Amino acid sequence: MIPSAFDYARPSTVQEAVRILSEAGEDAKVLAGGQSLIPVLRLRLAAPSLLVDLGGIAELRGVSESGDELVIGAMTRHADILRDPLVARYAPLLAQATATVADRQVRHLGTIGGSLSHADPAGDLPSVSLALDAVMTIAGPAGERSVPASEFFVDYLTTAMQPGEVLVAVRVPKREGWGTHYEKFNRVAQAWALVGVAAAVRRENGSIAEARVALTNMGTTPLRATAVEQALAGALASADAIASAAASAAEGTSPSSDVSASAEYRTHLAKVLTRRAVAAAGGIDAA
Amino acid sequence: MKQLLQTRVTGGVGDSAARPDGALKVRGEFAFASDLWADRMLWGATLRSPHPHARILGIDITEALRVPGVHAVLTHEDVPGSKRYGLEIADQPVLAIDEVRYAGEPVAIVAADHPETARRAAARIAVSYQVLPPVTEAEDGQVLRHVPIRRGDPDATAELVVTGEYEVGMQDQAFLGPEAGLAVPAADGGVDLYLATQWLHADQRQVAACLGLPPALVRLTLAGVGGAFGAREDISMQVHACMLALRTGRPVKMVYGREESFLGHVHRHPAKLRYEHGATRDGRLVYVKARIMLDGGAYASSSAAVVANAATLGIGPYDVPNVVMDAYVAYTNNPPCGAMRGFGAVQACFAYESQMDKLAAAAGLDPVEVRIRNALREGARMPTGQVVDGPAPVAELLRRVQAAPPAPPRSDDPRLLPGGVGNTTHGEGVVRGVGYAIGIKNVCFSEGFDDYATARVRLELISGEPVAFVHTAAAEVGQGLVTVQAQVARTELGVERVVVATADTSVGSAGSSSASRQTYMTGGAVRAACAAVRQRLFARLARDPAGLWLAGGKVVSVDGVVADLAEVLGDDPIEETVEWRHRPTSPLDPHTGQGDAHVQYAFAAHRATVDVDVELGLVRVVEIATAQDVGKAVNPQAVVGQIHGGTAQGLGLAVMEEIQVVDGMVRNPSFTDYLIPTILDVPPMHVEVLELADPHAPYGLRGVGEPPAISSTPAVVAAIRAATGRPLTRVPVRPEHLIG
Repeated sequence: MIPSAFDYARPSTVQEAVRILSEAGEDAKVLAGGQSLIPVLRLRLAAPSLLVDLGGIAELRGVSESGDELVIGAMTRHADILRDPLVARYAPLLAQATATVADRQVRHLGTIGGSLSHADPAGDLPSVSLALDAVMTIAGPAGERSVPASEFFVDYLTTAMQPGEVLVAVRVPKREGWGTHYEKFNRVAQAWALVGVAAAVRRENGSIAEARVALTNMGTTPLRATAVEQALAGALASADAIASAAASAAEGTSPSSDVSASAEYRTHLAKVLTRRAVAAAGGIDAA
Repeated sequence: MKQLLQTRVTGGVGDSAARPDGALKVRGEFAFASDLWADRMLWGATLRSPHPHARILGIDITEALRVPGVHAVLTHEDVPGSKRYGLEIADQPVLAIDEVRYAGEPVAIVAADHPETARRAAARIAVSYQVLPPVTEAEDGQVLRHVPIRRGDPDATAELVVTGEYEVGMQDQAFLGPEAGLAVPAADGGVDLYLATQWLHADQRQVAACLGLPPALVRLTLAGVGGAFGAREDISMQVHACMLALRTGRPVKMVYGREESFLGHVHRHPAKLRYEHGATRDGRLVYVKARIMLDGGAYASSSAAVVANAATLGIGPYDVPNVVMDAYVAYTNNPPCGAMRGFGAVQACFAYESQMDKLAAAAGLDPVEVRIRNALREGARMPTGQVVDGPAPVAELLRRVQAAPPAPPRSDDPRLLPGGVGNTTHGEGVVRGVGYAIGIKNVCFSEGFDDYATARVRLELISGEPVAFVHTAAAEVGQGLVTVQAQVARTELGVERVVVATADTSVGSAGSSSASRQTYMTGGAVRAACAAVRQRLFARLARDPAGLWLAGGKVVSVDGVVADLAEVLGDDPIEETVEWRHRPTSPLDPHTGQGDAHVQYAFAAHRATVDVDVELGLVRVVEIATAQDVGKAVNPQAVVGQIHGGTAQGLGLAVMEEIQVVDGMVRNPSFTDYLIPTILDVPPMHVEVLELADPHAPYGLRGVGEPPAISSTPAVVAAIRAATGRPLTRVPVRPEHLIG
């Protein structure tokens, strides 16, 4: 189909983008890489009167260091993430998950900010941002504010951002000494995740000191598997301990039943994938 | 010398001649039917039934007509001629009359100056429905055709008996180019229709009848076809676009979106199959009893022929003395089902090959060995009594795939494991399995159908060089038929330059690009037309034409060059049009199913190797080995392409492809939810091509397109069974079937 007619703006600064968005109100949409928005427009699931294209704002693209954090510009493309040395060193989980996003063509156009702002619970990067304790930098009419990933995803396709606000960067704590792993279950290559699990594990001696586990597509938002994290904290770094903790992976989740999978099967997947992802992140042989 | 001269032409039969559309398609420059354009063109849209079964109490088009930019809104009352059409039975309304019988059935059509305007206007048509309970199970439906087959003793008994019940889900052809066409009204009161189809003349016949026009006023031209696989054998937008064009006096283009495409064409029949195989202790089949039930959906389409294939090919390529087969197809309120690659043979093959594995287990035999012991051979009889009078290398094909190099051992690279690209395993839970299957398919149309193809060939001097012009109505649907026609002409006329005209209805019917028949039939017709041209050419020489041949632009004999082709042709081109038929077939006896119903049989075998993550229920097909007898590989590269593609389509049915229909409603009409194998899901394939000439066929060739889509499904499932030990009686196998 052909999208409804819309006006188009291509600001060159964040300030200008915020001003245009604030003036336009709720009827404007932000265009990043377009990999989710353009299909939505073509299916006429949305008909915004104005598209504000962030592609002309150079400051939004790229990865830099700032103290203990990586600062990833919202318009940094998936393909950029995949070859970024800072990401490879300090947030390999992000690179691993990004490599599973759709296909090569999409990864060359899609952006990290677009993926997070779209907030599809089946998207891979929202759960990764949760597992990494990422913090979103949001610009709005009143200036910048920071929202942790745990508060950013509010509901299905809904974030804490207000009309007039733009995601400008994702700040990811440098995680040295942590093992990480992302597992994505799809029945054909390049499809959406039926379920995905992002795991980050810090080991001390023979134990698991800390763990972060986040689930893709187990509810209307990405979810932290807090019961698993609690069970793992201080647990022996053993296959048995991980299996026991992973058994509660689906606690507090509300997976859907649809043409792709039943809720029951998604629950099963969450448990198995959590066990495997935590074991892989912790470098523990789970077989 | 003679042989040498005959085979010297470059790009002739047996060469992998390059396709004219190949580079264009790779570069995205090929013009598909959806790219058609005409000045002052309007866009058509279709309003479809939201209910699988309902009475239509009234249709109010007032609001739709008020939408600015709308030029016509038409209902069944506006159909000028026959209100119904159909390939075999004219039971499908052009536009629903008083009742809708499936969800997605066209009810009204709109022409507007913009596609979105047309869609919005269609949404404003008010249809008043009285919803009726749908029939969603074939067992509850009215039987459309029952094909019984009785051979030998119906009460035969055996030492070993294995039984099974199987189910095949509704597969979609999933072509990439949705239904599209452009209808242009003509000054003579007729219409010119440019479209993507498989069979121009069947469309012409049905469209003309529905428009109330003589066929001569309904002229069809083939536009770029983006895949077919059977889904374009029935009418979709053809009559609608013509009605709108004739009503508005302007060209009207219709292009289905992906969701509409899922609703707008027929699918592979879902099937329920019950089999009982009786055998001696050493695994030799004594009898097969089978009952097959196909869900035909709301309209007949080609169901009657599909069920005959399921019945006549229903015990597989095996020599069995006693057969009791009953195959049925019934009407329901599910989406209509019809032609899809394999055409009834696919569903049966999944069941009979599952049974052969069960028999192997019961007899304590290797699965390949039990098949070889029962393999059909040349000279054996089918359950219909028909003698297989061409090569039937069933045992040989099985031995070939068994002897093929084994799949590489399980990889250490996680990307090559199940769910590889998603990192879901490093080997945890992964089990390997290997499975075998073989299938049989008929080639060309059967049961006494007058199956022919027409070809017009002209040999002419252009700038002093002989050029062959080939014109047929045969639909190039992506299989490489344009190339094949040129190859035949090069071989038969010994010329390098061949021009293949766009297929249209200004030449006689070529029949359908289906039933693996077009290289056989249109290839045969072009060959026959070339022979007729040759005969006239040789008649111009003052000598006995016996022993003459054309090669390298010369008339030659065993003694050498007789004449220069250019001189013999001069300013007087030679044109011949030939209607060519394969040998006749017979109908099936309605009570016993006996009869020489088929023209040719084709065979392919598969060995599949899978790794299954048994904890997640995820399958990765690691490797497929396949062997197929093609009689003569007219274009070896295209043959291997067909085998790759068909095998992948069978893999799709084995583990992912299914239109999910719940209470008559299609639940997954998109490529997000209807899964097809991607390039990363299709394994490396080992392909062996046998060329055992069929003495009855042109060049000895055997239809190639369908056999690879038949046995790959049961081979993959057998491999999953071997890995998991689960019975797996339904395809596609879903992950949920493999856990718990």
